[in-house]
Amino acid sequence: MKRFLVLLGIFLLLLTFSSLGLSAPKDTVVIAQGVDATTLDPHMQQETPTYNVCENIYDALVSRNPKEEIVPNLAVSWKVLNDTTWQFKLRKGVKFHNGEEFDANAVKFSIERVINPKNHSPQISDLSAIDHVDIVDKYTVNIVTKKPYPVLLARLTAHMIIPPKYTQEKGADYLALHPVGTGPYKFKKWYKDEKIELVANEDYHLGAPKVKKLVFRPIPEASSRIAELLTGGVDIITNVPPDKLKEIENSKRARVSAAPSARVIFIVLDMTRESPLKSKKVRQALNYAVDVDSIIKYVLNGNGYRVATPLPSSFFGYDPSIKPYPYDPKKAKELLKEAGYPHGFKMTLLSPSGRYLMDKDVAQAIAGQLNNVGLKVNVKVLEWGVYVKQILSRKTESPMFLLGWGNTTFDADGTLFPMFRSGERLSFYENHEFDKYVDLARQTLDPEKRKEYYHKALRILYDDPGWIFLYQQKDLYGASKRIKWEARPDERIHGIDIDWNR
Amino acid sequence: MKAYIIRRLLQSLIVILGVSIIVFFILHLTGDPAALLLPLDATQEDIDKFRHEMGFDDPVIVQYFRFLKNALRGDFGKSLRHAQPAMGLVLERLPATIELTLFSLFLALLVSFPAGIISAIKKGTMYDYVAMTFALIGQSIPIFWLGLMLILFFSVQLHLLPVSGRGGLSHLILPSVSIALYSSAALTRLIRSNFIEVMNADYIRTARAKGVSEFKVILKHALRNASIPVVTMLGLQFAALLGGAVITETIFAWPGVGRLAIQAIYDRDYPLVQAVVFVVALTFVITNIIIDIIYTYLDPRIKYN
Repeated sequence: MKRFLVLLGIFLLLLTFSSLGLSAPKDTVVIAQGVDATTLDPHMQQETPTYNVCENIYDALVSRNPKEEIVPNLAVSWKVLNDTTWQFKLRKGVKFHNGEEFDANAVKFSIERVINPKNHSPQISDLSAIDHVDIVDKYTVNIVTKKPYPVLLARLTAHMIIPPKYTQEKGADYLALHPVGTGPYKFKKWYKDEKIELVANEDYHLGAPKVKKLVFRPIPEASSRIAELLTGGVDIITNVPPDKLKEIENSKRARVSAAPSARVIFIVLDMTRESPLKSKKVRQALNYAVDVDSIIKYVLNGNGYRVATPLPSSFFGYDPSIKPYPYDPKKAKELLKEAGYPHGFKMTLLSPSGRYLMDKDVAQAIAGQLNNVGLKVNVKVLEWGVYVKQILSRKTESPMFLLGWGNTTFDADGTLFPMFRSGERLSFYENHEFDKYVDLARQTLDPEKRKEYYHKALRILYDDPGWIFLYQQKDLYGASKRIKWEARPDERIHGIDIDWNR
Repeated sequence: MKAYIIRRLLQSLIVILGVSIIVFFILHLTGDPAALLLPLDATQEDIDKFRHEMGFDDPVIVQYFRFLKNALRGDFGKSLRHAQPAMGLVLERLPATIELTLFSLFLALLVSFPAGIISAIKKGTMYDYVAMTFALIGQSIPIFWLGLMLILFFSVQLHLLPVSGRGGLSHLILPSVSIALYSSAALTRLIRSNFIEVMNADYIRTARAKGVSEFKVILKHALRNASIPVVTMLGLQFAALLGGAVITETIFAWPGVGRLAIQAIYDRDYPLVQAVVFVVALTFVITNIIIDIIYTYLDPRIKYN
């Protein structure tokens, strides 16, 4: 018995010592996302969690500061030579983490790598407006677009520059596991599905980061992420469910950080096929029938911002004079009657589950409200893979479905064109007046003219709605009180922006 | 014996082949991987180019034989999502899963053997009822809930153990206990019922009559015979856990095969799903063979010719 107690005592002692790894170490910030990075080759992926790791290791020509303004990074200045040629002057004296020099060749190599279809980059459509890159001299490049492309700078903020010599010598597969960039953090080690360790690059060209070690941990379960935050195991967590916010706010160690997302949630009303939705009056009626404010209040616990059109207020092209459809079920019923549906009609509302915050709950609420004006709407939930397939093949089971769209160019073009221009893959809308204006807005680089065109296009879209306009998401993060950091609308997490709270 | 093993291995190949066919064809019936891997606003042209370069344009049968030919060389292609060799990704995660599985089963055995044997010997007493109630609870508790409760209590409230991740012994405890609870419940009940049966056998009475000590009767004579069905269950649990205790791995952010498999399925990552299924099927098959061999040591009457 005595021996047993001694052994038990030793066991518990060992336990205590080995669990001293409970809290994150003093000079390290630990970030917990839901998934691991899929690769550390910045051109072979297209997901936010992977971007978050890569953007600490690599730099782009231009980047966005925490206020989402475009600022110089590897490019120090730029000017437009003609409608299709942009010239960039590059920063001198920058080296990749392995000593290789950064120059115009690296830019040409990186960009042309993505736009070359043989390389299968999932980012190819982001840069497909670029035709080729010309090297003018060691620190000057010309980027030539196929047609005038006003959104080029926004697109370039997501394009990271890789070292040409290193990549060509070691191969892309090696780069994916041993990344080398010019960024504020150098890669140390990657334990798959466990953690990625980064260390500060003291020679970083914009100043060394204050946080010397950065660790990314994939923790799929939200409750586990929150538990880690509350026990001090991690410092930043993503995707906090709204009903857990109080718990974090009330804790000793952590607080909530929220940002208006670049993502908007909406109901697509497919008017390109035969259904009651072809009628403009019906689509207007649906917008009057939904009480978006109470959905935000009750389903999202207030974590959403009402939008009148597809554009959040921070986007270029936004028109503040357009006010959201008021909640008016009486008007909705009137319009339905005028459209020839005095007794409503039957329709399914499709929704994914778990892809967006509270997605199917929002769909249920909307179905309820539509039923209040005489329609017979039922919600059908589909698994995301199946959902995407139906949408992309334009064979959705119903012309009414819930979707989200995160446009990180912060420019109207990135939403209005793909989602509403007739003939576009994701457009279920057809209005030729509208088309005229979004086409014009693309063909000029003059921001004032573009704003004018977008305001006109938005008015048309508002009057002849292609969606039930809902809300802009509020992204919810948890952060440790020991660091100074705030969430960003583009969902990025940059170690260089983090500092310690003394 | 050798001939038997070789024969079993050949039979297993057929099983694995059958599994690969089913998995391959079912995967191809739902969802388009190109659509999932490219951003939503990729043009039809981009998607078609991508599909063509990846070989998704060919008829499914052609794709299957291409897969089979490569699989025989150990090449399961590149994961669509990770752009790295699929089999490599699975093998990377295997040590973590094996560690969790072995420790969990170790805990389960540590608890269930004494509990089951004592329950059997003291059948009908309060001890027996208490033990069986715990076993019932253990088998009924959903692992999901159990894992979260353990975290809430031992990590958040008591600060005794880390919440998640893989690391030292302390990181292993909570996830293993989650798994072990269910396993030990099942094993305890099985050991108890087998033991009761065995203890009533003639040869036990003979051993006692010979004057063998009760201790030796239990450990030497009864245990070996009672263990055979237990070995079977143990083997099945081992193989199943090796396929990845998905829920536990998700809650505790354990870097194992289960998490990888689930993500691969959601992504329609065909090469990766195939690699995982292949490894899991292989594990089941080998485990079964090993169990059969263990039988011959436990029960000399079992011989394979």
